[in-house]
Order: sequence, then C-alpha cells, then structure tokens
Amino acid sequence: MPARPNPPTPVPRHAQRSPCARSRLGIPRDEQSFHYHGNATMTMTRPGTPDVHVTAVAPPPELRFRRPFDLHRFLRELWRARGLMRTLTERDLRARYKQAMLGVAWAFIGPVGFAVVFSVFFNHVAKVPTGNVPYILFSYTGLIPWGFFAGGVVSGATAVMNNMVLLNKVPCPREVFPISAIVTALVDAAISALVLPIMFLVTGRAPQWASLWFPIVFIVHLAITLGWALLLAGVLMYVRDVRHGLPLLMQLLLFATPVGYALSSVPSSWVNIYCFLNPIAPVIDNYRRTILYGFAPDWPHLGLAAAHGLAVLLGGYALFKRIEPGFADVA
Amino acid sequence: MLPDGSLHVDRVWKRFRDDRHRALLRDEIARLRARRKGDPSVGWRWALRDISFDVAPGESIALIGMNGSGKSTLLKVLVGVMFPYAGRVETAGRVGALIEVRAGIHPELTARENIFMYGTLLGLKRPAISARFDDIVSFAGVEEAVDRQVKFYSSGMSMRLGFAVAAFLEPDLLIVDEVLAVGDAEFQKRCLDRMRDVLAVGTTLVYVSHDLPTVQAMCQRAIWIDHGEQRRTGSTAEVLGAYRRSIEEHTDHEQVRLGPVRVLAVRPAGRDGQPLTAGGPMQVEIDIAADVTRTFDLVLGVTEATSTPIFLIQTSVEASSEIRTLCCNITQLPVGAGNYSLWLGAFGADHTVVLPWQSFGHLAVGGPELTPTPTGVVRLSPVYVPATWEK
Repeated sequence: MPARPNPPTPVPRHAQRSPCARSRLGIPRDEQSFHYHGNATMTMTRPGTPDVHVTAVAPPPELRFRRPFDLHRFLRELWRARGLMRTLTERDLRARYKQAMLGVAWAFIGPVGFAVVFSVFFNHVAKVPTGNVPYILFSYTGLIPWGFFAGGVVSGATAVMNNMVLLNKVPCPREVFPISAIVTALVDAAISALVLPIMFLVTGRAPQWASLWFPIVFIVHLAITLGWALLLAGVLMYVRDVRHGLPLLMQLLLFATPVGYALSSVPSSWVNIYCFLNPIAPVIDNYRRTILYGFAPDWPHLGLAAAHGLAVLLGGYALFKRIEPGFADVA
Repeated sequence: MLPDGSLHVDRVWKRFRDDRHRALLRDEIARLRARRKGDPSVGWRWALRDISFDVAPGESIALIGMNGSGKSTLLKVLVGVMFPYAGRVETAGRVGALIEVRAGIHPELTARENIFMYGTLLGLKRPAISARFDDIVSFAGVEEAVDRQVKFYSSGMSMRLGFAVAAFLEPDLLIVDEVLAVGDAEFQKRCLDRMRDVLAVGTTLVYVSHDLPTVQAMCQRAIWIDHGEQRRTGSTAEVLGAYRRSIEEHTDHEQVRLGPVRVLAVRPAGRDGQPLTAGGPMQVEIDIAADVTRTFDLVLGVTEATSTPIFLIQTSVEASSEIRTLCCNITQLPVGAGNYSLWLGAFGADHTVVLPWQSFGHLAVGGPELTPTPTGVVRLSPVYVPATWEK
C-alpha cells in the first residue's frame, strides 16, 4: 500500500500554526514555520515566495503623523462642509419638533415655565430689585440667553458623540457637529424669543433704542457658547464622564448666574473676577441694560466676557483640532 | 500636486487601544506608568504596519486578506475618516466611499437629504447634484421612497442607495468595501456594470472583497494584507495565487477530520503517470476503507484552495474494513494552468456525513492558461465533468 502523498496524519497540537503566532519582532508567521515542522511527513511547506519582508515593531519617529494647526486650511474645510451643517441642523430641528405632539411649543414651555417659577420665588420671596421693569419681562430676558448658552453647550458638547455613526463614515471636519447643534439651539432661542413681543405688549412697555447694541452682545455670547461647546466636545470623546456631569453643572450654574436676579446683587468687590469667570452674567446684564433699560453696554464687564469668550474659543478650537484625528478611533 | 484620482500611501501605520470601548482611569494609569518605563506600546495593538502603495488615475486595485487583517481600517484611513499613526496618505480629487455597506448614508435622513448631503461632502454644488438626482434614484430603485427616512428602508434598499450615491456622484476615486456580498444577483450585476462604467471614464477604483472571482474581474492589481502587513503587491492573478496558496496551506495544517469512512491515500496523475495538464486527462486513485460494510456516496471535487469546488464528481461506493482502491478517470480536466486542491467527502443515506469534506492534496496543472475575463465579468463555473469509475 503506497503512502498517501499528503498524509492525513494528525498534526500535533503544538505543531499547528495558530493564525496569531507571530514573533515579538513582528516577523510574519510564515517566516517561522520551519520551527514547527518537526514532523518529517509534512512535505507540503509554503512555496518559496519572496513575499515576506521583516517589519519593525514600531514606525521610526520621523514618520509620525502630525497635523499642523493650519487655521486657514481648517476654516476652508469647514466652509466646504456648510451643506452638511445645514443638513444636520435641519435634521435636528425636524427630529425635535416633528415627532413631538406639542411641536414648536416646546421651545416656549421651558423658559416660560422658569419665568413663572422665578416670578413666584425670586420676586415674591426674595424681592429682586428690577427698577421699573416688570419681573416677568426681566427674568424672561435672562432666561432666553441662558437657554441658548446652556442648551448650546450641552448639545454641542455631546454632538460629536451623538453622531458617531457618521464619524466613521463621512470625512468632514468634526466641528460641524457642535456647530450645527449650536445653530439648532439658536433656532430654539429665537422661537422662544417670539414670546417677548407678547410680554412687551401685555406689560405695556417697548424695547429701547439701545436694543441696536444687540449684535455686539450677541457676538460675545456666541463666542463663549461655541468655545465651551468645542472644548467640551473634544474632551468628552475621551472622558465620557463629561456627558453625565455637564447637565448637572449647568443646573448649578443657573443659580450662580443672574438669570432670576440682577448683576447688581453681586458684591462690587467681586464683580470683575465674577464677570470673567462667569461671562454669561455680564452678557445677560448687557442684554437687559440695552433692551429693557435703554443704556449703552457696560463696556468693562462686557469686555471681560469678550476676553473670556475669545480665550475659550481659540483654546477650545485649538484643542478640538488637536485631538480630532483620534475621534474615529474611540468612536 | 498629484493628478485627480491618484492615491499615494506612504508607510502608513495605525494602532488602536487594546479595548477601544473601555476608558477606565486605572487603564490610563497603567499606560502612563508603562510609558514612563519606556514601553510605549503597552495597551496598544497595531492594525496596520508600514503599508505603502500608489494608485494611478484610472487604475483599479483590490485589497484582499482575511477578516480582521486591517483592510477596512486601511480604507477608513484612505477615505480620511481615520488618521494614520505614522506615514502619509494623499488623495487627489473627489473621493466617493462605500464602507460598511451604507457609507455616507444616514438612517435619520431621507434618501433625498442623504443624496444632497453626500454630494455636498464630495464637493459638488447643489445644481450639480440635482442633475444626477434622477439617475441615482432610479439606479437605487427607490423612486417611491425618496422622502422616507432611510431607517425605514429595507437593508437592500439602503445598500442600493449607498452604492448609487457613491458611484453616481462622479468621484475621481471610488472606494468600495464588500458591496456585492449583500445584494441580490440582479443588483450585483448592475453594480459590476456601474463599476465598469466608472472605470471606463477614468475613475480610480479601490475594491475590497472576499469574493475572489469578482476581484479578478474588476481589478488589475491587488494588495494582500495579512495581520496589518502588506504581504504581497502585484498583478491580481499573482497576488490571488499567493493568497490562495496561503489558504491552502492553512487547510493543510488543519487537523484531519475523521469519519467512519477513511481515505488512506489519494494519487492524482495524468495519463500514465504524466503531470497534469489543462484539458488533459486525469486519473485519481483512492484507497478507501470503512469501519463496517456500508454504502455511501463518494464526492470528489477540485477547488481553488477554498472549500468551494469548481466541479464535483459523485459515485456510489460500497466499502468495508478491507481496503479497496477506486479509480476515477476524467478525460478532460476542465481547469486552466495553476494550483488546485483535491477535496473528498463521503455522505451516507439521509445526508449523514461519513467522511467530512476536506482537502486531500494538491494538483499542479500545467498547460494553457485560462481565458482572461474581460473587466467586470465574473467567472462562475458550474462545470459538468463526465467521469468513469473503475471500482
């Protein structure tokens, strides 16, 4: 009986090449195969192909991929993704209002509810001095900017993570997700601001001419919101705890911010440092000064808020772009 | 500046955390401690090691390799959703990608929104997308459902949409990952046709598939990636040959699976012991025995390394504990020159397996080469081979 050319002799367990077998040097399995062929009947070995090359354990340091911080290029890429931002914003808005029975009404319900609670609590219990402005109007002009800030930061910070599905598939600058979340929050704020004319009518007051300062205050407001959203969105991808801590922090911050009371309640020796640390305070104060009271902006305090906004926007964007290449890896 | 549609991959390395979905403080501390001791690779594993290749505009290249070899990671790096750890990737022109079947397709959006979103990502203006809109919709066959959210689509529909969007928005570089595995036969044909069309207008194609015949049909060159390393790069025929041989070797080292029927020897040969040639005769002698006297169907197949045979020959055999020799005669071996495997299996009544289907050696076939397939034509071979048995 002649021997089988390719005998079915069971290969001993230790001689079977595991698909993962690989030397510490990273030499491909085949290179090592001769070690395992103690069995003389194993006539079939790999064909002598010269396709194996030895690879080092790690790349030489000069090959290391580093993306330079090229602001011009980043902004150009962002501009190219504007269509995506538009689509994302439309999608968020549609998802939010289409599948809810009360629809757009949800944009008012929150701030109006807070304004009513604040009226009872701050106005009747704590007696907030508001000059000649009715308290409901006073608190509502604080609640809208606060809502934009808090909503924008929370949804902006979670936006990259919430869009994980897209992250691994669509090549785009990742800041499109926080930015479109902030645009969505802005639309919410604009809808809730529609109550404001009604409040003016009911209370028999009119916005002051100084309301024309609004864009200046708003730019500071936007810079702070966007800056924090970008900063936290980047950090959140690696430290997921931020996601749980952030809403809580925002609730606490609401009471540390003059939303239901006035900035003048803060002791004057603390007010400068306070305005820098909590820049939403002077922002809200300046909305009120201009729209309700007809004064020019309070430049020193607004300036502190602007400094904070500029710092956090630049710092947040730089950090975001620095760690952005790794987002898809942890998604 | 590279011309549009070219791809330049220069010594790309990529690593991942050992457990990407776990971020615990104690892991981080362990990692930092190891780094301070000078071992930066603790807690990381390499997904790609030193991958380099170039693709010229209009070329078609395939990436092949086992599951988990790093093909999809490489594609993600090419598309630009992932960044390499080291090395450089340069692409020129618009990149259309179909990764994980529904690449740019977002389930929350409608088909219409998806088409526009993906188009804007590819750098097309809205009017340009509108011009192609109807083509995309009709190719995907989703005319009635354009304004439905994609999450309510059947998986086939969303996949068709994904392919249509990627293939019709005229990318300079089209990256396709395993599309054909999921579609029905008709859609597979349309995909292949479309890929052939885009190749004809000079689009570069990077194609990933486990379906080797389609790889052979679509691509001029191939890269075999094995455990994150570039094992072989060259013409499709050459790389596929090497890849198949490696699979073959792998099967060789598998434990022999036993059954009540045992094959003791298999001797394939050409006429009068000559080497095998394409189209020439083949004679296979099989020494066979069984535990008790039993009757079963013996099936002999010739495969290209995988377990899927090119053709099968079957006969009814009665065997006992006494070893007997069977001889199968094939007048014309219907395969081209190359390396093949001979597989055997035996099956009793009621589909009981008396000898598991497994490889019993190699066939080196000389003689004329196989007729080359035109681009986009997939060879499938339900071959009938007449054979006579001497028992």
